[in-house]
Amino acid sequence: MPLPEVKEKWSGRVHPVTLGATPAEGGTRGRTVTIGGASGIPFLDFDGETPHAPAIAMDVLDVAPSDWPKPLADVYADVWSDPAAWARRVKELGADLVNLRLVGTHPDEGDRTPEQAVETVRAVLDAVDLPLVIWGCDVPAKDQVVMPRVAEAAQGENCLLGAATETEYRTLAAAALAYHHKLIALAPCDINKSKQVNMLVSDTGYPLADLVIYPTTASLGYGMEYVYSILERGRLAALSGDRLMAQPVILDVGYEAWRCKEARTGDEAAAAWGPAALRGPAWEAVTAADLLQGGADLIVMRHPKAVETVRRLIDGLLAPTA
Amino acid sequence: MIIFSERINGMYRDVRGAIADRNKEVIHRLLAEQLAGGADVIDLNIGPTKGDPAENFLWLAQAVHEVTDKPLSLDSAKANVLVQAVPAVREALPDTGLVINSCTAAREYMDKLLPLAVQYRCGIIGLTMDQDGVPGNVEKRVECGASFLMAAIEAGIPTEDIYLDPIILPIHAAPKQQIHAVEAIRQLAAVSDPPPRFIVGLSNVSQKCPLHKLLNRTYLVMCLAAGLDAAICDAADRDLIDAMITAEALLGKHLYSDDYLRAWRMQKGLAC
Repeated sequence: MPLPEVKEKWSGRVHPVTLGATPAEGGTRGRTVTIGGASGIPFLDFDGETPHAPAIAMDVLDVAPSDWPKPLADVYADVWSDPAAWARRVKELGADLVNLRLVGTHPDEGDRTPEQAVETVRAVLDAVDLPLVIWGCDVPAKDQVVMPRVAEAAQGENCLLGAATETEYRTLAAAALAYHHKLIALAPCDINKSKQVNMLVSDTGYPLADLVIYPTTASLGYGMEYVYSILERGRLAALSGDRLMAQPVILDVGYEAWRCKEARTGDEAAAAWGPAALRGPAWEAVTAADLLQGGADLIVMRHPKAVETVRRLIDGLLAPTA
Repeated sequence: MIIFSERINGMYRDVRGAIADRNKEVIHRLLAEQLAGGADVIDLNIGPTKGDPAENFLWLAQAVHEVTDKPLSLDSAKANVLVQAVPAVREALPDTGLVINSCTAAREYMDKLLPLAVQYRCGIIGLTMDQDGVPGNVEKRVECGASFLMAAIEAGIPTEDIYLDPIILPIHAAPKQQIHAVEAIRQLAAVSDPPPRFIVGLSNVSQKCPLHKLLNRTYLVMCLAAGLDAAICDAADRDLIDAMITAEALLGKHLYSDDYLRAWRMQKGLAC
């Protein structure tokens, strides 16, 4: 029996977005990373091209985390009070990008000043030559003060800045535009809202082609299917020619996976659930693997074992079929 | 939906006068309104103008092409006029998309116009009627549409360049024909794989009706739900285009957002 033809004819594709800048491009990065560009369903090489493999950014915090469980502490505790050393560590572990979270600027979590944030960003830029994703602390009033300063300090490095939302987008879009950075547009688990945010950001004069969509993330066992279906619908809209939905997608897998009790609980549950040293990384890797199938272009991760597994999976899925 | 602008038509007195006087300004002003409304294809109809029809078509096509490189549809019920006008316009505008509007399923018409479409790289609109005139029922419309489609494919025209027009008649003159046309679209879409494109001359439905705009937009939505792909209509009628965008969103053809009307216009590069 002949196989039915399932190949679709798409009119659109995901925008490619390049992050980082080498000295030739006015920055100091060792290389750039391009995400997006796909012209078909993820990992179906007969359906369309995947010119750029999904990239992996690894988390670095500006202050030592207080609640990271043992499997992560085992890898990072010796460097996590120094963001520069931490950044060097994630580079050694194979990160494509550093995902720098300025959580310490949060008014209730240390209230670090814009100057201190700038210092951290500079230290990380000096320590490693990977492109950067930089997030504020998620408190709009504080981010509006910190992020423009950070954007200015990182001028020329073509970072990815997070995150513009439906109500708070003007300041960040203006800073990203002024200092030539890429921008994350965030709409929590709502694809219609996502389109709306992209439109609002675009209204400020910020180019649609420089946006990256962040639909938020949910872990395996905690609503991952919902995010998966949003990824699918977004990719189909992009492929159908919807330019407001043609942006590549970033997902925060590490943070979400390591919030789950299945990942966090220690070896007291080993008898029923298996050893913590494997369970957490597995939870993170499986979440990433699933969401990559939905259409994630850039995933933020934490544990090197999970990163290694996911990297192997991506390489295998993108290997030319014989 | 593919919007064929209906306004550059010699049935309108201003256009007829502009063709007679070779007055491009009038054409350019009307065209600007149609383009601002989202027109994708410019339908050209010289109406009952004096002089050589092919020359009038050529002048009109060139006047329009000065403003936009959008495809043109050459609109005449007379096959002999199209046989003269199409080569002349193609020679003057070698790279512009052209659509022949229209042909019927009568052998005599198809023998003249299908080879013309192939030779001059044109799309073609086929009316679902033959030598016996406009069918009074759904079945004959489907039969005529299917035979035109088969003949056009056999002639070598790509399916995406073939449009079927189920013929829209005014509601006050021919009630029941409106729903027949809708049903014909539905049935023809179901039996053809891959389907051609379906198009209607929308404003016919409301000819001489005081509430013509309401009739037009209501009927357009009904046709879209049946599978319509294109309409010859007034792109400058904002309520009509809003109804079309809304119907397409409800049909799942584009992703909804609270500002979906603006999203549609933004993506077409129109002022919002």
